Amino acid sequence: MKTARGFIIAVSALAMTALAAQAATLKVGMQDDPDALDPALSGTYTGRFVFASLCDKLVDISPDLKIVPQLAESWEWAPDGRSITFSLRRGVTFHDGTPFDAEAVKFNIERMKTMPDSKRKAELAPVASVEVVAADKVRLALSEPFVPLLANLSDRAGMMVSPKAAKEKGAEFAASPVCAGPYSFVERKSRDLIRAKKYPGYWNAGRIGYDEVVYSIVPDSTVRLQRVRAGDLDLAERVAPTDLKAVREDANLALHAGQGVAVSHLMFNVGNGEKAKGPLGQNETLRQAFELAIDRNVINRVAFNGEFLADNQMIPPSNPFYSKAHPAPARNVAKAKELIGKAGMTRVPVEITYENALADGRVAQIIQSMAAEAGFEVKLQPLETTSAIERYLNGNFEAYIGNWSGRADPDPTLVSFFATTGSQNVNKFSSKELDALLMQARAEADEAKRKALYEKATGIYLTALSSIPLYHPNWFFAARKSVGGVVMYPDGLLRLDGLKPAN
Amino acid sequence: MSAVATGAAPARPRAAGFVVRVLHEPAALVGGLIVLFFIAVALAAPLIAPYDPNASDWMAIRQAPDAAHWFGTDDLGRDILSRIIYGTRASLAAGIVAIVVAVLIGVPLGLLAGYAGGIVDVLISRLADAFLAMPFLVLAIALAAFLGPSLQNAMVAIGLSATPIFVRLARGQTLVVCAEDYIAAARSQGIGPVTIMLGHVLPNILPPIVVQASLTMAVAVLAEASLAFLGLGQVPPDASWGSMLDVARQFLGEAPWMAIWPGAAIIVLVIGFNLLGDGCNDALSPWRGD
Repeated sequence: MKTARGFIIAVSALAMTALAAQAATLKVGMQDDPDALDPALSGTYTGRFVFASLCDKLVDISPDLKIVPQLAESWEWAPDGRSITFSLRRGVTFHDGTPFDAEAVKFNIERMKTMPDSKRKAELAPVASVEVVAADKVRLALSEPFVPLLANLSDRAGMMVSPKAAKEKGAEFAASPVCAGPYSFVERKSRDLIRAKKYPGYWNAGRIGYDEVVYSIVPDSTVRLQRVRAGDLDLAERVAPTDLKAVREDANLALHAGQGVAVSHLMFNVGNGEKAKGPLGQNETLRQAFELAIDRNVINRVAFNGEFLADNQMIPPSNPFYSKAHPAPARNVAKAKELIGKAGMTRVPVEITYENALADGRVAQIIQSMAAEAGFEVKLQPLETTSAIERYLNGNFEAYIGNWSGRADPDPTLVSFFATTGSQNVNKFSSKELDALLMQARAEADEAKRKALYEKATGIYLTALSSIPLYHPNWFFAARKSVGGVVMYPDGLLRLDGLKPAN
Repeated sequence: MSAVATGAAPARPRAAGFVVRVLHEPAALVGGLIVLFFIAVALAAPLIAPYDPNASDWMAIRQAPDAAHWFGTDDLGRDILSRIIYGTRASLAAGIVAIVVAVLIGVPLGLLAGYAGGIVDVLISRLADAFLAMPFLVLAIALAAFLGPSLQNAMVAIGLSATPIFVRLARGQTLVVCAEDYIAAARSQGIGPVTIMLGHVLPNILPPIVVQASLTMAVAVLAEASLAFLGLGQVPPDASWGSMLDVARQFLGEAPWMAIWPGAAIIVLVIGFNLLGDGCNDALSPWRGD
């Protein structure tokens, strides 16, 4: 009898533990499998999505795009803008117990600047040297004033990995990353899942509500949503705009929406090889006519149920540096025809290349249909992702639908696409005036003056129209109501901080 | 069993008898009528389609079927009925061109392999086996991806993928026919191998090839839809049933009509070809009782 009772108690205790463990696991559905889980190497959105649980950064962004403390508690720019000193949070340890200090920051910045395959080199290029001032103080000396540095440090360039683990693991680091985030890496099954468990030594452990987080890779957005509806997942990132109605109607689900920093734009090859020699590549008046021939609101309404943001600029209106002086022009087919006539043409052929994804395909067909009314003969060239990206990088296109994830600061976006040497300037646009403005703006610490510079820059790129910005996607997460504390950020990453089971 | 079925009689009466027998098979008749219906729709598309299949009405996005749009509208406000009608062209063209490609390449090769034998047979047959080792659709997808997305390329890809079946079939039938006395008689009269192959062997192996072609047509229509579904077929905005399904997949809950019509069209046409093929097979089978 006694043993039986003991057994029952043991079993119920086990069952309760099991229940508790189950309740404290957050199951998240993601669209793609991330690439290397090393902040120095990562090049994907889903990689950043996972890092939000694994790796803390020196600074973070707030939901309204301000720079806020994370591993650095405060910072101070030198008066000449040529160095910045960070005061670091004390008592922070990496998942392997290694203390986080100024030496660790120096190691990390230098690692990202020197590692052969590092993708952070450009973001940290202005950092000339790192000096350890004290155990909790570190100074970055810059070769030139570079205001966007803080924004860069709010992403992977600012993620700190354990120096000990990085040295020991070498090239194997990405297989089991060791950082200083709220969760420590447990396992990764390729194309299936990534599991991380709560790190008890986290500096802000009191705000961490789940014991474990599992990222499952579910490529189809409708399937991802169905699995949340079925209770098999707690949260799905990037729900398709066309599925939002279903989320809103489901009493068990909550829709979390937020403005993003991403942009989709129609890029014209204006100077890269043979494909730049078409009429639209050679003539900015025709590109202006093209812009007038399309209606961004129709694109948004038809392709995205009106859930995104139709806009004519590369940076979204939520950004403090957005130019209000350059509103999107309304559709004007008559004016477009007039401009085409001015260029001495009546029919203007152009081929649009795009990744064969449903959203881009729909956008391309809407553009094709609207532009035809003004006299543009648009041919569509859908390609599977790898070939499309290859053509994009080689400038082997007349026009291309580009999707840029955006950054907190306007500098990386505008420099990448419009500076003569920009990394995304595959269509070879070049304007000396714009180059000078962009360089001036990145050195300008005064926000009002910087804003005026970007205002001018916006005017230039919107006249040249080497790229026609079309819309800014918004972020949509579908979560079960049982997930409490979800806050949307412009970078579209799920912060685990503050997240907890609602009941 | 009649003399016709043994294949010993001259070709013409046998082929004519075949057509008559096919018409007497109810399944083949129904299948034939379905196929004829779709052919008529494809030919008359500009006359019967109520709208321009590529014209968007931005104010009528994903509208349920009603008096104005009998089959509803799609995600870009295009009339689904008109797109189904024009999509028939893509499906039938893909089926027919693919079969023509497969027959024109496969049958001569099979004939040659069967008649020549020896090293020629070994080379051709092993090559065909190598292609057959790969699943039909996988091969078609690989070829279409290699050639680039377009309806023409999809047709060629499907045709090439279907070729080995015809090589095999033609070779086997040729071996059977070559064992007949009349071929030996022709040879003994000093008639050249080309004349024997084209004049005596080919007409006698045609009926099973026609059956196979009809059955493969169903597979080809399905393959075209699959390729289009994967974005490897018809380039937008032109309609193809497969690409219509691909888009519809996103709206299964809120706009099921976008999926139902192209899905139904594919099913009915494939059934049509299958019935026709099965009917032909029955009509041709030497084992059927008289």
